[in-house]
Amino acid sequence: MKKMQGSSWGKLLAVLLLLVTAFGAGHFALKSILNLPYVAAEDWQETSQFDRLLAERQEQLAQLCQLDMELMSGELSFVQQERKLRQYSQLMEGLRQENTWFRWQVLSSSSASILYTNLETQTLDQAVEAVRYATFTAGEHLVQNSGAEGEGSVFIELEEADGESGIYYAGIIPAAGEELLIQCGVPAQVDESVSDEFFALWKEYGENRANFQPNMMQTLACSLLCLGCFLYILWTAGHKEGEEGIVLTWQEHIFFDLYLAFLILAALGLCFLGLNFGDYLVYSIIYGENSGDLVPFMQEWILPALAALLVGTITLAARTFAVRLKGRALARSTLLCRVLMWLWRVLRDFFQSLPVTWRAVGLFAGYAVVGGYLLLTARYSALALGAWCLLNFAALVFLGWWTVSLSKLRQGTKAIAAGDLEYRVDTGRMPRDLKIQGEDLNNISLGLAGAVDEKMKSERFKAELITNVSHDLKTPLTSIINYVNLLKTTDQADPTAREYIEVLDRKSQRLKKLTEDLVEASKASTGVLSVNREKIGMAQLLDQAMGEWEERLRERQLTVITNLPEGETWVYADGRHLWRVIDNLLSNCAKYAMEGTRVYVDLTRGKGQVCLSVKNISREALNIPAERLMERFVRGEESRTTEGSGLGLSIARSLTELQGGQFDLAVDGDLFKASVTLPQAN
Amino acid sequence: MYTILICDDDRDIVSALDIYLTSEGYQTIKTYNGLEAIRAAETNEIHLILMDIMMPELDGIRATAKLREGSNVPIILLTAKSEDTDKILGLNIGADDYITKPFNPLEVIARVKSQLRRYTSLGGADKGPGLLTVGPISMDDGAKVVTVDGEAISLTPIEYNILKLLLSHPGQVFSSAQIYEQVWNDPAFGSENTVAVHIRHLREKIEINPAEPRYLKVVWGLGYKMERGSN
Repeated sequence: MKKMQGSSWGKLLAVLLLLVTAFGAGHFALKSILNLPYVAAEDWQETSQFDRLLAERQEQLAQLCQLDMELMSGELSFVQQERKLRQYSQLMEGLRQENTWFRWQVLSSSSASILYTNLETQTLDQAVEAVRYATFTAGEHLVQNSGAEGEGSVFIELEEADGESGIYYAGIIPAAGEELLIQCGVPAQVDESVSDEFFALWKEYGENRANFQPNMMQTLACSLLCLGCFLYILWTAGHKEGEEGIVLTWQEHIFFDLYLAFLILAALGLCFLGLNFGDYLVYSIIYGENSGDLVPFMQEWILPALAALLVGTITLAARTFAVRLKGRALARSTLLCRVLMWLWRVLRDFFQSLPVTWRAVGLFAGYAVVGGYLLLTARYSALALGAWCLLNFAALVFLGWWTVSLSKLRQGTKAIAAGDLEYRVDTGRMPRDLKIQGEDLNNISLGLAGAVDEKMKSERFKAELITNVSHDLKTPLTSIINYVNLLKTTDQADPTAREYIEVLDRKSQRLKKLTEDLVEASKASTGVLSVNREKIGMAQLLDQAMGEWEERLRERQLTVITNLPEGETWVYADGRHLWRVIDNLLSNCAKYAMEGTRVYVDLTRGKGQVCLSVKNISREALNIPAERLMERFVRGEESRTTEGSGLGLSIARSLTELQGGQFDLAVDGDLFKASVTLPQAN
Repeated sequence: MYTILICDDDRDIVSALDIYLTSEGYQTIKTYNGLEAIRAAETNEIHLILMDIMMPELDGIRATAKLREGSNVPIILLTAKSEDTDKILGLNIGADDYITKPFNPLEVIARVKSQLRRYTSLGGADKGPGLLTVGPISMDDGAKVVTVDGEAISLTPIEYNILKLLLSHPGQVFSSAQIYEQVWNDPAFGSENTVAVHIRHLREKIEINPAEPRYLKVVWGLGYKMERGSN
């Protein structure tokens, strides 16, 4: 299918076939048209050609009569006499029965006596199919054809005057100016025994009638074939072998209206030519003014060629129209459309370049003027009233559209402000100004989402890096710990050596804790940890935590005072992570709280929130803000001599946030307070 | 005399382990990758294998799977990976225990001993009536004796009763209040925080690494449970 559409040979063939069939259609159509007069006449003697031939013969009779009169007058010179006589005998010869199917008699209209005739034994009635009448004035050429309804159809028996010539005279010379009557006709049956013009006409008549139907059929066949080619050309138009889509040719680069006008002009010219030639043809056929070979040549070639050209022109126009339509280039390749579009763009750009305020004022002014005018004329015309209502309805719709879009925009802004970076404002059907606003908003959220994504990625990368590095640290650390342990079992005489080994042991243990905390901190802060939230009893958890820590805290001379509300307090959290949070907080107390002080652990609930707070008095002065304490590797004192990695609070915060909670620190003098807020479970 | 196969690509770790284990009276075979370990296990009579996970040629997980095809010798994995998924994978593939790096040599020896005892003597231990067993822990309620890997441990009466409660319902989580009510036979009125302390002591007695218990587990925020033993 595609191949057929693209084949250039097929197209060329189609064009050639189109022209040939158009030519053929024209040719056969012309033939059929020329057959028409014969087909229209019921009998060959009723054709106009027959009448014309008859009239010629009648003229000859009038001439014969005139010559007769001149010859008989005796007023002619010898030379003239001889010449006239020759003419006369020539005429006579042509009018004889042996030489023509024309049967005639000339009568004197006054005496109704036959002057001349070529009838032998039969009467005219018997001899011919239909008797025609004509009158003329003796001595003149002019014959008045009175057709079949001539008066005085009197037939007179004539005696043979001159047997040899076959023309019979009454012997009466008509007086000059006398009214003479011609009665004439042609037998119904003619044959080739006398081949005169009537026989030729009879033959022509028969042939034409016989040819009419084949000619019509051929015309029809050619037309159908031509139509097929036309449709094929339209179907393949714009397709090219080896290329996808619609290919525009040079014709499509001419403006459509200009091109069409040119083609229409060409077609009109062709029509004009065709009509002229046709006129000429008809004229020459009817009046027999046959000027050589021109008529058949015209009939055979020129007029069909004109028809082919006309069809070609129409095809050209239809093809370019089809290509433009297929290629969706109709509007843009039409000069008028281009001009209108350009005007529209200029106006629109001008309007859009105005500030919003001016546009609003302009719109309102337009509305007010049109509305006012309609309202004023509404008194006289119901149409204006209807238009006014319509205008107001349109204004309402426009305002509604604007406000709906605006509220959509507001909604989107709100969502993005609330942190939903996936939110996109649907700017599909918004007024232009709001659309621009909405797209900008979308771009902002896109940019933000990208930045957040980028940050997450880099955090994850960092976590991976830390995990890998600490894995690599763990292997040598294992050796260090093991060999330090082995060293401890050896017998060291030097007490300082034993002391050094002790330091090595302590520090290697701390290094171990550090690497573990580091991995945990990075995992917690990047959210790689899985969180299984379930219903957790806070009182139970605190109880368990106290069980773990009580003795160690007591060693530090720290007294824990817990304040719990009545009954169990349930939260949604991951038990292991929440334990790590509390573990870190209590471990913090054990490390940094001043000996001999009290540690307050309070649990409060309300407003769907559960808040756990741990308060203690710091041993060292806390001269750094609370926010800094949560950063990694930051500890209350800068000397870093104490145990602990400085990651505890950071891990606690990350883990709390992972579970959807909130972690806060407050420092008031030496009072240190950490609180964990979690959503309460019912 | 037990023979222990040590397999790690870090030679220093292998020799450190070798020193500890020989000083404990075990015979050792040192290998440095999974293939060597498999070959050594084929030619020698091995009673226990210590196997690192990340090794060249053949890693510990695949070597364990290979060894498990024809032997049920105890395998303890040494791993630098501390993710839970790695441990679970290791245990599923057929390892009996795992130790995370950097490890404490004393923990290694304890775990080796525990595994060896279970492999050699407890393999067909008879489970008489009144004998509660979970993993290496077994309680003879009639004789009021608790053994871990065959070694008797001394418990206070409260610790004994708590352990009895948990052992008789393995897998079930008891809150502190429930334990208090069952063991003390008193309604709990905020005095149950002593339970946590007792359990911590109990854990220190029966677990090799109390900070990372294998059997007496803390279900944070809900209570305590005895892990359902694998045998």
